[in-house]
Amino acid sequence: MGSRASTLLREEEIEEIKKETGFSHSQITRLYSRFTSLDKGENGTLSREDFQRIPELAINPLGDRIINAFFPEGEDQVNFRGFMRTLAHFRPIEDNEKNKDPTASEPLNSRTNKLLFAFQLYDLDRDDKISRDELLQVLRMMVGVNISDEQLGSIADRTIQEADQNGDNSISFNEFIKVGNLQHIYVWAGDHYLILTYILLSVLQDCLCSSV
Amino acid sequence: MTSLKEEVEEKKKLIATLRNKPWRMKRRLKLLKECQAFVEEFEGALGKGKGRKLYAYKVMMAKKMIKFNRDFDNFKTACIPWERKIKEVESHFGSSVASYFIFLRWMYGLNLVLFAFMFGLVVLPEVMMGLPYGSIPRKTVPRAEQDRAMDISVLLDFGGYCKYSILFYGFYNDERTIGVLQFRLPLSYLLVGLGIFGYSLMVVIRTMARNSDEGGDGGDDGQFTFAFKMFTSWDYLIGNPETADNKYASITTSFKESIVDEQENQKDENIHLRRFLRVLANFLILCSLGGSGFLIYFVVKRSQEFANLDQDELSWFEKNEVEFVMSLLGLVCPPLFETIAELEEYHPRIALKWQLGRIFALFLGNLYTFLFALFDEVNAKLEKEKSIRNATIWGLNEYYSNYSSYHNTTDIPPPDIHPADVIRGPCWETAVGIEFVKLTVSDIQVTYMTILIGDFLRAMIVRFLNYCWCWDLEAGFPSYGEFDISGNVLGLIFNQGMIWMGAFYAPGLVGLNVLRLLTSMYYQCWAVMSCNVPHERVFKASKSNNFYMGLLLLVLFLSLLPVVYTIMTLPPSFDCGPFSGREQMYNVVMETIENDLPAFIGNIFTYATNPGLILPAVLLMVLAIYYLNATSKNYQNANLELKKKMQMARDEEKNRRNNKENTNQVMQDLEDLLPNRSLLPPAAEEEKPPPVLEKGSKSPKVAKRPGAAANGKGVNIQKDVSLAAPNPKAAVTHPPGPRGPSGNARGPPPGPARGRGRGTPPSRR
Repeated sequence: MGSRASTLLREEEIEEIKKETGFSHSQITRLYSRFTSLDKGENGTLSREDFQRIPELAINPLGDRIINAFFPEGEDQVNFRGFMRTLAHFRPIEDNEKNKDPTASEPLNSRTNKLLFAFQLYDLDRDDKISRDELLQVLRMMVGVNISDEQLGSIADRTIQEADQNGDNSISFNEFIKVGNLQHIYVWAGDHYLILTYILLSVLQDCLCSSV
Repeated sequence: MTSLKEEVEEKKKLIATLRNKPWRMKRRLKLLKECQAFVEEFEGALGKGKGRKLYAYKVMMAKKMIKFNRDFDNFKTACIPWERKIKEVESHFGSSVASYFIFLRWMYGLNLVLFAFMFGLVVLPEVMMGLPYGSIPRKTVPRAEQDRAMDISVLLDFGGYCKYSILFYGFYNDERTIGVLQFRLPLSYLLVGLGIFGYSLMVVIRTMARNSDEGGDGGDDGQFTFAFKMFTSWDYLIGNPETADNKYASITTSFKESIVDEQENQKDENIHLRRFLRVLANFLILCSLGGSGFLIYFVVKRSQEFANLDQDELSWFEKNEVEFVMSLLGLVCPPLFETIAELEEYHPRIALKWQLGRIFALFLGNLYTFLFALFDEVNAKLEKEKSIRNATIWGLNEYYSNYSSYHNTTDIPPPDIHPADVIRGPCWETAVGIEFVKLTVSDIQVTYMTILIGDFLRAMIVRFLNYCWCWDLEAGFPSYGEFDISGNVLGLIFNQGMIWMGAFYAPGLVGLNVLRLLTSMYYQCWAVMSCNVPHERVFKASKSNNFYMGLLLLVLFLSLLPVVYTIMTLPPSFDCGPFSGREQMYNVVMETIENDLPAFIGNIFTYATNPGLILPAVLLMVLAIYYLNATSKNYQNANLELKKKMQMARDEEKNRRNNKENTNQVMQDLEDLLPNRSLLPPAAEEEKPPPVLEKGSKSPKVAKRPGAAANGKGVNIQKDVSLAAPNPKAAVTHPPGPRGPSGNARGPPPGPARGRGRGTPPSRR
C-alpha cells in the first residue's frame, strides 16, 4: 500500500497542491498515504461511506454535513485534490504569511474562510443566510426530544435576535462573522484542525487493523 | 536566526576593535566581558564555537524538562479520582447536583490528610512502641465486664473490647517518652488534636480564596449566550459513543439552564405582593424554628428527669425520646420549609441558599441539645471520679502502711494486683468519644437507609407498580425522586463538624469517616444515576462553591469551641489517657518547654504570652483586616466600572451600525473584511432599507437593557411563546434518535462552490 502511494503522486502535483493549500511537502505525502488508506475501493476517490467509517464523524451531530463539505456540488466522489482543498481550511493561521505575498488572494485557511466553512455547515440551501428553520434543524439534531418544540423555537428566535443586525430574521455571513469574532469560535475553528488530525490518526489505526 | 547571527558578528567585531575606542579602561573592560559572555552563549546556538555542545545540551535538557512537566501535569490530572463519574452525573443532572459530588470529593481529600496525621503521629507510635493490651489497667477490660466483653451487642455499642482499644482516648499511656526513639506521645497527641483544626482551617480558607478568584471572566457572557451554545457547544474531539451520549445530555441540560436564567430575568415584577409574601414566608418559618427549639428544650429537660429514675423501668420510647424527636424534626421540617419557600418565588439558586440557611438553623438546635446532654454526662463523671480517686488513694495508703508495718521495711514494692482488678475511675473522655462514634455510626445508618428506602424503593415501586395502577405513577404522585442537594450538603457539613469535635477523644473516628466518605461516593453516585430524575428546573450552580465553604467554616469554629474549652478548663481523668495525672491537659506543653527545650525558649514563651504584647498584636491584625477589606472593595468597584464601560462601547458600536442603515453599509462592512467581493450577495437590490425611525427609537431601550438586541418584536416573542412550557420529565436516557433525515444533507444539490476559492457570484439569483 505504501509503495503504491508514492508512485501515484507526482512532483508537479505536489507542487501545485502546495501552492494552492499551503501544506508542506512532507505533510502532503503523509496526507496522501492516509487518503489511500481511507480509500477502500482503491479507485483514487473517496465516497461518503468511506468518511462515515471514522468514529468522530459518525457520532458528531453535524457529521453528515462536514462530510458533505468535502464533496463538490452534485458529485459523490472526491479525489485527492478536492480532499486537500477542503483540508486546507483547517490549517492553523500563520501570522507571517501575510507579509510574504500581499498581492495574492486570500489563502484557504484564513480566518474568514474558516468562518465561511463553518457557516456553510449550517446554511444548507446555500442562500447565504441561516434561517430560523435551519437553526431548528440543527437544534433538533443536537438536542432531540428532550426539549419541547416550543422551547426549541424560542431558542432559535433568541439566537437570531442576538446575532441579527439588519432585521431580516436570519443570520447572514457578516453577522455570523461578528459572533465568530469573539474568542470562542476560534477555539472551535482550531478544533476542526485537530479533528482532522485525529481522523487521519484513526484512519491509520483502521488501515493497520484491516491489514491484519 | 539571522538577526542572532548578525548580533554575534557585531559583538565579535566590537571585541576586535575595542582597543581603538576612546573610552576609559573601566568601560572597555566591562564591555569586553559582556561581549565575550554573549558570544560564548550564543555562538553555541549557531553551531560553532566552544559553547556549541553545551548549548545543544542545555536546549535538549530544557525540552526534556518541558515534556516532563507536561507529562507530570497529565499524570496529576489523571490521578484525580472519580472524575469520569462526576462528569457523567453532571451531564445528566446539571452542574448543581455535580457540585455536591465535587464537594464530597474535596471532603474526602481533607479527611484523608487528617487521618494520615492522626494515624501516623498518634496511633502508630502507641501501637508499635507503647505497651500492649493487658499490661496496665487502662488498657485492660475490668474484671467485672470481662464475661460480656465479646458480645456483639456490647461491641456494637462500643463497649467491651472496643472501649479499651486504640479507637478511644483511654487507651493511650501517659509516659513522657516511649520507645527507642523517645517519642513524646502526650505532646504529640495534644499537638495533633489542635493541628487538625489548624490544618482544616487553613485548607478551607485557601479553597475559599481560590474559588473567589475564578469569578473573573463573566464579561462576555451577556452578549451571545444562545448563539454560542448553538454554534459551539459540540466537542469535536469526542470519539467514544458513551462520551457522545453524555455530551448530548449535557448540551440539553445547558440549554435548559439558560432557559431558566432567561425566565428569571423576564419575570413580571409586582413588588409589593412579592415582598408581602416573602415577609409572610419568613415569619412562618421563624415560627416553626422557634417551635422546634422549644420542643427540643422540653424533651431534653424530660430526659434529664428520666436519667434520675431507674433505667429498667423506662420504656424504649422514653429512653430514646431525644433521638426520636430530633430525627422526626429532621425529617419533617425541611420539606415544610421547601413548601413555604414556594411563596417566595426566588431564582432556584437563591432559593437553595435560603433553604440551606434555614435547615442549618434547625440543625443547630440538634447540636445544642447534644452538647448540652454530653456536658451533663461529663460533669457527672467528674464527680464520680473524685470519690473513686479518693478511695484509690486511701486504699494505696492503707496498703503501704500495712506492708511497712508488717515487713518493717521502707522499700515497698508496688501492689501486685492484676490489671483487670484495679479499681478504675470513669474515664469521661472515652465516654465522650463513644458518644461521638455512636452518633456518627447512627448518622451513616440513617443516611444509607433513607437513600435505600426513599429513593430506591420508591423508584422500584413507581416503575413496577405502574403497570397495574389506576393513575400514572410516573407522572403524578409519587413519581421518581429528585436529588435533594441541600439536605445532602448539610448532612455532609454537620457530619464533618462531629468528626472535628470527636477526633480529639476518639482517634479512630477519622479513619471511620474516611471509609464512610469512600463508600458514600460510590453509593450515592449509583443511587443518583439509577433512581433519580433531573430537577424540573435545572439551574446552573454558582461558579464558586463558596457558600458551602462558608457554612463549613462556621461549623469548624463551632466545633473548635467545645474542644478548646475542655482542653483549657476540664481536668483530665487521673487514670486514663495520655494526660492522666496532670492538672490540665495543656500542662504537657509546659513540661516539654521546661524539660526538653533550651532555657531561653522558655523565656521567649513567657514574654510572648504577656498580655502587653498580645493586645497590640491583635489590634494590628484588626487594622490590617480593615485595610485589606477596603482595598478589595475598591478593586471590585473599579472592575465593575470597566465592565460597564466595555458594554457601553459595544452597544454604541451596534447602535452606530444600526442607525446608519443604508444600502452602502453592507458593502462597507464587507470591504473591511474581505479583499474580494465574491461572497457579497446582491443584497443591495433585495433589501429594502428598514424604517430607520424605528431603529432610532429603539436605541434607548438598548441602553437600558444591555445585551438585548434592538428589536422590539423579539422581546415580545419572549413573552408570548412560553419558555415556561414544561419539559418532558423523563430522565435523558438516550441521545436524540437518528440524526434527522440524513438525506437532508445531500438533498438539495449544493450551490456553486463559494468561498472555496474564487467562485463567481451565484447566477441563479
